[in-house]
Amino acid sequence: MSGEQRIRAVLFYLGVFIFFTGLPFILSSSLGYKFDRKSLKFTKTGLIVLKTQPQGANIYLDNTLLKEKTPATINELLPGRYNIRLELEDHYSYSSDAQVRGGNVTRLEKIILFPSRPDIKKLNKDTISSFFMDEPRGAIYYAREDETSIYKSDLDGGRFEKIASYLPISPPAKKWKLSPDRLKFFYFNAHQIGVVSLEQEKAPPGIKCFACVIDHPLSAIHDVFWHSDSFHIIIVTATKIEIQEAENSATPVTLVALNKKNGSTFYDSRTDTLYFLDSQKAEDGILYDNVYKLELATKLYPFQELIKLAPSFEKPESKQNAGAKTEK
Amino acid sequence: MQGQKPKNRLLEIIPGLTSWGILVFLVLLAVLKPVACAIIVIIFDFYWIIRTAYLTTLLIMAYRKLAQQRNLDWLESCRKLGPRNNWQDVYHLIIFPVYKEGLDILRPSLEAIRHAHYPKEKMIIVMAFEKRFSGATENAEALEKEFSRTFFEYISTFHPDNLTGEKRTKGANATWAAKQAKVLLNKRGVPLENVIVSCFDADTCVDKEYFGCLTYHFLTYPKPHQASYQPIPVYTNNIWQAPSFARLVETSASFCQMIESMRLEKFVTFSSHSMSFKTLVAIDYWPVDMVSDDSVVYWKAFLYYKGDYRVVPLYTAVSMDIAYSNNFFKTLVVQYKQKRRWAWGVENFPYVVSRFKDIKEIPFLSKARRAFHLLESHITWAVWANIIILIAPLPILLGGVLFSQKPIGYNLPKITGLLLNFTLGTSFVWIVLSRIILPPRPKDVKWIKNIVMILEWVIVPFIILLLGSTPALDAQTRLMLGRYMEFSATEKRRKVV
Repeated sequence: MSGEQRIRAVLFYLGVFIFFTGLPFILSSSLGYKFDRKSLKFTKTGLIVLKTQPQGANIYLDNTLLKEKTPATINELLPGRYNIRLELEDHYSYSSDAQVRGGNVTRLEKIILFPSRPDIKKLNKDTISSFFMDEPRGAIYYAREDETSIYKSDLDGGRFEKIASYLPISPPAKKWKLSPDRLKFFYFNAHQIGVVSLEQEKAPPGIKCFACVIDHPLSAIHDVFWHSDSFHIIIVTATKIEIQEAENSATPVTLVALNKKNGSTFYDSRTDTLYFLDSQKAEDGILYDNVYKLELATKLYPFQELIKLAPSFEKPESKQNAGAKTEK
Repeated sequence: MQGQKPKNRLLEIIPGLTSWGILVFLVLLAVLKPVACAIIVIIFDFYWIIRTAYLTTLLIMAYRKLAQQRNLDWLESCRKLGPRNNWQDVYHLIIFPVYKEGLDILRPSLEAIRHAHYPKEKMIIVMAFEKRFSGATENAEALEKEFSRTFFEYISTFHPDNLTGEKRTKGANATWAAKQAKVLLNKRGVPLENVIVSCFDADTCVDKEYFGCLTYHFLTYPKPHQASYQPIPVYTNNIWQAPSFARLVETSASFCQMIESMRLEKFVTFSSHSMSFKTLVAIDYWPVDMVSDDSVVYWKAFLYYKGDYRVVPLYTAVSMDIAYSNNFFKTLVVQYKQKRRWAWGVENFPYVVSRFKDIKEIPFLSKARRAFHLLESHITWAVWANIIILIAPLPILLGGVLFSQKPIGYNLPKITGLLLNFTLGTSFVWIVLSRIILPPRPKDVKWIKNIVMILEWVIVPFIILLLGSTPALDAQTRLMLGRYMEFSATEKRRKVV
């Protein structure tokens, strides 16, 4: 046998030896068994998998600090209950009890370690009364009532600047809404709607005033929505749903007369569809609540179409009277 | 020789059935008993890590021997052997079976022999053309004009098509040529026992010292007629021009052959090799109806000498072409077909086992060991990449939540990942060696190719699955179903793609 063949034979038998001696340990470890040197027996163990956000937290297992930091796997744990404490500088510590079962993995993988000193940052430069977000464009708008001004900044408070003035309403506006084209705002209280253009140097298309207030004395305003054309507004009051151009000389058109006061509404600006709750009298003479869908995109008044979406919760005795019979 | 008897058919079915059986069994196990499947995968992974380490060590040892012996002055060593082993008595019969290969492929092969450090008057060249190829006569005449005066003898033979009992194989052409050469040698009074025959693929370019090395080993081996002489095939003729994955596959093939050269008890002739012409005549030449003539000729001699026949590794190289075509997909097909043809060597298993029973002189254990080696090597070839790449993730994918909550469900990807990392480590050795065996960069190839040739190793997992196990499984399936392959010459090029 040549020298190379002798080396080869040694390597071969070494490989065989490593395979047969290593395999029981690899397999037992893979299956979750631990070799107890004292009893010379394999004991079935479990393991805990820890993942945190952010990573790198110290791990205390039953108050004993482990070498590993998160993410980590604590292997070969005998079955039982263990206390896990995770500590990371400048973060609140996390503590939990974990039940370990033999031959099973206990996963604690969605742990968030929250900062102990939250990073709070003031965004506006001057006093403001309210703010509203334009998240898609990464902008924040601020209203300042004492000087009836609107400011704008980016999401970090940068580029803070005054962009428009508006006319005051009393009591102060409870809601502000940006038009879909992002060139106008309206704001409203129970009886007044203010409209303001954000480009006051040049008139945006279709706007007749840079700032105006639409009075609505007869019925209390419940909610107002922009139509997708950014020119009309849909006004939901206690008694009706109206649509009008967003300026003070326009005449409102009543789309729906409502029986239910302050019913919930939702406006889908992508499809120009208003969903609202209203009560209508059925054939048995009883009022039932239904959800209606009013499409305003192409079938604007006088061709608006109302579709009842689902029967409301009806009284058991009137089940035979389907809500559909109460269509407007 | 194939599929004539029911017993032979059974032997042909065994490799494919075993490979498919293993794969189907593991897939079913992954569905029904994912834990059991995971255990088998872990055992296999661990075995593969050890095997890869072992084989890579053998590769390093083989490379070391190649580096030491490749450029020795072997002719000088022959001269020192003395009168009992007179190298001047030895003649080299060199047969090039040719099919469609053109002069651009054939000329460099003959040039390499012309430049060999060995007396040309001791060489007989036989260019063995196929009559059915229309350009054969023209090519033969062109080469005769250039080379016929260089050697002791130079002849061109034209193998007729459709001879009785033959298939369209390289072995049939080589056998026809060898028979013509025998007539010539008899005529020239050269004793057959003094002739070493080398059967080279058409693109084979020998190292300068090849014939000196071969002669030395022939003269010094105790039973020179009971041995084949196998050089290390390296696919470097067009390595700078070949596409990445083709280059990787062929480099890996060279390395596998280097590893095999260290495992003498399993070593079988492959591709271009040499042997005693006397033995070749005694065993009735190469098989004329089998595709894997290069390995079957070894088994014929092994059976003829009742098991007392070996392959002697020659640590000198013969360089050949990387098979590729003019675009990515065609190259993929060319490579796939070539690997499937190599894997068709599985036909050796029924051939050898069916003949073992007639030879009582070979001990049963020896027969069993050789049969097992043959079967095991082909089955491993067909299944290993499938197990590591496709079956290993199955218990996790199909095992559901229950499996993932068990330690083995958690550990399986870790161990599989460890295997991958380890394979990357051994790949580093392969990358270094592949750089060392590389011929100098041609002037028309940009230097950036050096970087590309290192980075391309990242596609190894794709290669081993597509061009490693799949062609082997394909070949075994064909043999199992009795869809016998015929030899098809591999397309080779030497142009930049």
